[in-house]
Amino acid sequence: MTVFHFFNCAILTFGPHAVYYSATPLSEYDTLGTSIKAAVVYLATALVKLICLATFLKVSESDSFDPYQEFLKALIGFIDVAGLYFALTQLTHRNISQNHKFQAVGLGWAFADSVLHRLAPLWVGARGLEFTWEYILQGLEANANLVLSISLAGLGSLMWLRKNKPKTLIPIIYLCAGIVATMPSITSYLRRGLGWHLPKVVGFELFTSLVMAFISWQLFAACQRPSA
Amino acid sequence: MATVSKKPRNREILFDSVIALVFILVACVDLCDGATVVDVYRLIQYDISGVPFGSRLASINHHAASLHFAPSADLSRTVLLIPLRELNMSFVQEYIGGSKPLGGLIFLLPQIFSFKNKGGASSNHDDGSKEPLKNVLDKLEQILIHTNLPYPVYFAFEDDNIDTVLLDIKKNDASGQPATATTGGYKFVVSATEPKKVGSPPITNIQGWLPGLKTDGDSHQLPTIAIVASYDTFGAAPALSVGSDSNGSGIVALLEVARLFSLLYSNPKTRGQYNLLFGLTSGGPYNYNGTRKWLQSFDQRLRESIDYAICLDSIGSWENDLWIHVSKPPENAFIKQILEDFSSVAEDLGFQVNLKHKKINISNPRVAWEHEQFSRLRVTAATLSELSTAPELLQSTGGLVDGRQFVNEAAIVRSVKLIAESLAKHIYGHQGKNVQIFADNSNLAVNPSYIRSWLDVLSRTPRVAPFLSKDDPFITALKKLEAFLLVSLVYSSKYFACLKELEDHTDEVNLQREVLDGMFTFYDSTTAQLNIYQVASVTFDLLLLLVLGSYLIVLFSFLVITTRGLDDLISLFRRPPSRKMKTA
Repeated sequence: MTVFHFFNCAILTFGPHAVYYSATPLSEYDTLGTSIKAAVVYLATALVKLICLATFLKVSESDSFDPYQEFLKALIGFIDVAGLYFALTQLTHRNISQNHKFQAVGLGWAFADSVLHRLAPLWVGARGLEFTWEYILQGLEANANLVLSISLAGLGSLMWLRKNKPKTLIPIIYLCAGIVATMPSITSYLRRGLGWHLPKVVGFELFTSLVMAFISWQLFAACQRPSA
Repeated sequence: MATVSKKPRNREILFDSVIALVFILVACVDLCDGATVVDVYRLIQYDISGVPFGSRLASINHHAASLHFAPSADLSRTVLLIPLRELNMSFVQEYIGGSKPLGGLIFLLPQIFSFKNKGGASSNHDDGSKEPLKNVLDKLEQILIHTNLPYPVYFAFEDDNIDTVLLDIKKNDASGQPATATTGGYKFVVSATEPKKVGSPPITNIQGWLPGLKTDGDSHQLPTIAIVASYDTFGAAPALSVGSDSNGSGIVALLEVARLFSLLYSNPKTRGQYNLLFGLTSGGPYNYNGTRKWLQSFDQRLRESIDYAICLDSIGSWENDLWIHVSKPPENAFIKQILEDFSSVAEDLGFQVNLKHKKINISNPRVAWEHEQFSRLRVTAATLSELSTAPELLQSTGGLVDGRQFVNEAAIVRSVKLIAESLAKHIYGHQGKNVQIFADNSNLAVNPSYIRSWLDVLSRTPRVAPFLSKDDPFITALKKLEAFLLVSLVYSSKYFACLKELEDHTDEVNLQREVLDGMFTFYDSTTAQLNIYQVASVTFDLLLLLVLGSYLIVLFSFLVITTRGLDDLISLFRRPPSRKMKTA
């Protein structure tokens, strides 16, 4: 019964990654290797991030929102972007198109994030007898995170890999990438600074992730056109 | 395609094994995080000569329901949560008396019955409901003790957490949806091991000796007066049986009398020509088994030297009259003497002492009063009690209702005065004279603050003999206290030195360890923790699975259509074999 609930939550948390992989052409071009490499890069990045957080951040006793600390946290959060940059530019795997590469990297990135941050709490919590909505919400959050990671990877590939993009779009691309990269800080602010409850935060994340995904898609399509 | 992806496969396997390792590690940490954790006290489980009584199981893992369950519902897999305030005897008769199958029972007692409840603050505001509740609980306790219940039965105290749970359960039940595995609700879990027999239940008697003044020869030649109280309890919940009245009041009175007389005896001028023997006996609820063992261990000379013994039993909540129970006919000279001493003092104090005679039936194993054990060994004895009739076996033995708030300190003070004055009359031969030795405001006055603090301590200490270990801190404390009262004051002004000397003075205060006779068998696990979980139903999980499945299917179709086109999606369903090739 509780294993059933765990199973449900696990489907919600990790299912979309698998579906994304098998539904899109990623599976046809066998990009699993790229995804795994991206996941490894994610793990390394997470380690570096942890060290930075431990070095530069004070342990806050209260759960309140401290702007300076949060700013530092956001800065450290940009290590993610560096990791993504590394994953996108330095990992020349097989000859896969840019188009698939960023998707594979984003997918691996998001999957590693889900495994690292959500699997253990899910295993411990969702198998307990006590029912809460928390793990279902976490699963939804994982979905939003998947969309955001792929968007960020897409924007990154536009920034770093594509040479002949329309000049007018460049600031927009950078702006969007900035927004997407700071999403963790924004949600943290909503949760702790404004005291939003988890369902509201997750709703916001889902909404913004879809909006950002749409914008990135449009940008990508716009960049594709002249070259195509 | 399969050959191309060989290398990543290996990595995948490595990754999987890492995940598996993490899984195993995390699985070892089995967390127990209930929404609410409540202390619960199990109904006693015991056998009398092999016949089982009480709750026979300890662990619970069932859904909860309230008393408003549907009449036709099958309750064999349901725990009923019953507040004492709503309990009606017809239910008790139907389900407990009729031994219908239940998954378990949890009785919610009002806070006034909790000995952890500080100072009876809450006992003031609902005075009106106290007495009826006490009566109901008393009846329930007697029924539960004498019934064999093949399911777990627990007691818990009302608090805000469990009240909200109860409200929710009632709401569920009222809406016609009793909590079962398919509708969700609350799940009660008590994880306890199977109750084990308490091997050879120990009983410990504590005895104190206050020697009289030797004029010539051995002090053992002096006559002896014994003051005895049984100190252990028996009740529906062993962990809640504090027995403030039965027999906490007797212990307190005995300790105070011991204190007063050791003050008197510390001065050679006021040292009486009687030895005083103070006995705190165990095994009281079980036909005064400990008393019998204690008496049998006596030296023949000592037993013969006992002039008479006064047993104290339940003297903490009377108003106007006390009873002296005897088993020798009232015409007996000693009995007459005792009654005379007591009633003359009682008259001075403004109340009445009545005599009640009950013959002993030697062939009947039931011993209703402690003095009957003395009488069986031909020692003159009487029991001073507020009860007018002899209690049945396991009745008035300090169970659930016998709490601190139902005991009147003033009554104990008056009892102590009565006992001390009449003993003094006898010892110093002041019969017929109006002398008050323990007058208020004198340095020999009865001290109400001692009485209050001892009573408070006793009212927080469950004392069911089989569950008191041999070296229970309570017994050691009682022994030390008695020793302090007696020994140290005899050797006046050397209190601290004497506390150290205690071990050497086994002559003065000692413990006697015995084993309870074989008729009773007890089982352990008297307390547990109840975890209350709010659980989702199976239908909810099934629905969730359906929703998630359709979400994934929609997502899949959407992704296929946007990235490969609609035709591709349709072709997936037309040619399943090619699909297999693709995913491989």
